[in-house]
Amino acid sequence: MKKKIRIAIPNKGRLKQPAIKLLERAGIEILEEERTYVSRTSDPRFEAIFARAYDIPVYVQYGAVDLGITGHDLILERDADVLELLDLEFGKCTLVVAVPETSTINAVNEIPALTRVATEFPNLARKYFEENEMQVEVLEVSGTSELAPKLGLAQIIVDISSSGETLRKNNLRVIASILGSTTRLACNKIAYRTFEKEITELLARLRGGL
Amino acid sequence: MFKFQDFDGKILALRAEMTAPVARIVTTRMPSVPEPIRLFYVTNVFRYSQSYLKREREFCQAGVELVGCNTPEADGEILALLISSLQKVGLKEVRIDLGNASLLKDLLDTAGLNEQQKGSLQNLLSCRDSVNLKKFMEQNDFPSKLREAFLQLSCCRKLDEVTSISLNASKYDKANKHLGSLLELQEILVDYDIEDMVFFDFSLTKKIGYYTGMVFEASVPNLGLPLGGGGRYDKFIEKFGKLKLPATGFALEIGKLLQALMAQGFEIPEETKAKVIVSSKFRNTAVEAVKLLREAGVIASLEVTRRNLEKTMEYGKFVGTDYVVSVGSSLKNPVTVYDIKSNVSRSVMLETFLREIGGQS
Repeated sequence: MKKKIRIAIPNKGRLKQPAIKLLERAGIEILEEERTYVSRTSDPRFEAIFARAYDIPVYVQYGAVDLGITGHDLILERDADVLELLDLEFGKCTLVVAVPETSTINAVNEIPALTRVATEFPNLARKYFEENEMQVEVLEVSGTSELAPKLGLAQIIVDISSSGETLRKNNLRVIASILGSTTRLACNKIAYRTFEKEITELLARLRGGL
Repeated sequence: MFKFQDFDGKILALRAEMTAPVARIVTTRMPSVPEPIRLFYVTNVFRYSQSYLKREREFCQAGVELVGCNTPEADGEILALLISSLQKVGLKEVRIDLGNASLLKDLLDTAGLNEQQKGSLQNLLSCRDSVNLKKFMEQNDFPSKLREAFLQLSCCRKLDEVTSISLNASKYDKANKHLGSLLELQEILVDYDIEDMVFFDFSLTKKIGYYTGMVFEASVPNLGLPLGGGGRYDKFIEKFGKLKLPATGFALEIGKLLQALMAQGFEIPEETKAKVIVSSKFRNTAVEAVKLLREAGVIASLEVTRRNLEKTMEYGKFVGTDYVVSVGSSLKNPVTVYDIKSNVSRSVMLETFLREIGGQS
């Protein structure tokens, strides 16, 4: 029997619902409750896997799934060697450097050496500060980095921001933008060859639904 | 690459691949060997791998190099050997995706782009983003012929489909030569009857920069990573000495082959040889029995610990032995065979026992 095309969808967070809806508009309706590991879809050629958005780039790179819906920022953070076939245009956000409102720092070049930076994006943060020739200590946290300055864990943070609401609520001020991101359809390089016909067709349908 | 310092301060490095060592050997140790030279290797290489699944740093690679010949026939031989090697290990639905390193490079040069623009164009090509590719080419004032060629080339999937591309202007001479070589290669693939397994991929650009002609990757649909790859490198060997030698070759990763085989449902066959421990108070007869068993192709070991039979049986069970054989003062008499799995013992002549367990004596 021919192998089904596996597509990974974020299992929670702000990317999940728009991803499910977009697939629906493209004719792929998810038929099973996402608690199951592999969900059938209305298109028998595809099956859906729910996974952490952060892990999806890696799943795609290693061919555990053929396609994946995840953020451009995460693909870069995980340094995943995948094809980014389509910009799905939702989940728009910016990776920013932020400091407490009371801080005297107004620009990146004012950050003192050896400042501690809390972030969920250690690779992108490190790269950014290296490119700016700044020596900082990057501290990896797995969520709510905006709390780090309050707790005295770090003086600044690198985090994604879509509306700026969370940062404002936590009395943080953006001093620089690192990169802009949207949600992408990522594809495994070998799977693209194996399923080129099906994937090209899906792309056309997804473009129609955007 | 893994680098460290020798005692005298010299930098040492672990090899990350074998083509460079082969180039060095060809230059320094084989200067008068008639060409073409065909070489192979099966060895370990060391690389930092991005894998989040395993922390592997050492990989076993098997590869071949055909040195001293720049004909399409040499390239054809390499591709045919690659396919038959993959089929020989038992892989099904093998495919090769092949591009030409110089074709893309020369076309990019003709387009008159700077390095950064070249990078973004290559990125668009490898992401198969035809929408943005068109946009990019319009923004950068590509001549219409070149624009068309790029779009057509990124749609070609078979080597002979490139015949449809017409670039008749002298500035495209180099590119046309590469297109011609693809067609010639296709004819050779037909002779080997492997043309159905080889596909064209314009965007295929290997991270290793030394390729000058064909570049390719091998894969199977069940595994999301390439099994290996290679290509032609005509200007690489000369970096190691005076010899200017064209060359072509491939390397396969043995670990990936195993993964692919498993993904295709291959099971590693179980050890069929019987395992026997010989135990006896009479050392000379025991040594003789072990010798006979081993000569017959049985995996035999001598009980060297002087422990009692019961303990030997326990040990045998633990290490996966099939039988414990207790011998008396002479092999002219029957021996006692204890079957560890069924816990049954019987008296039998050693020769008969050997015949029963499939030994060749």
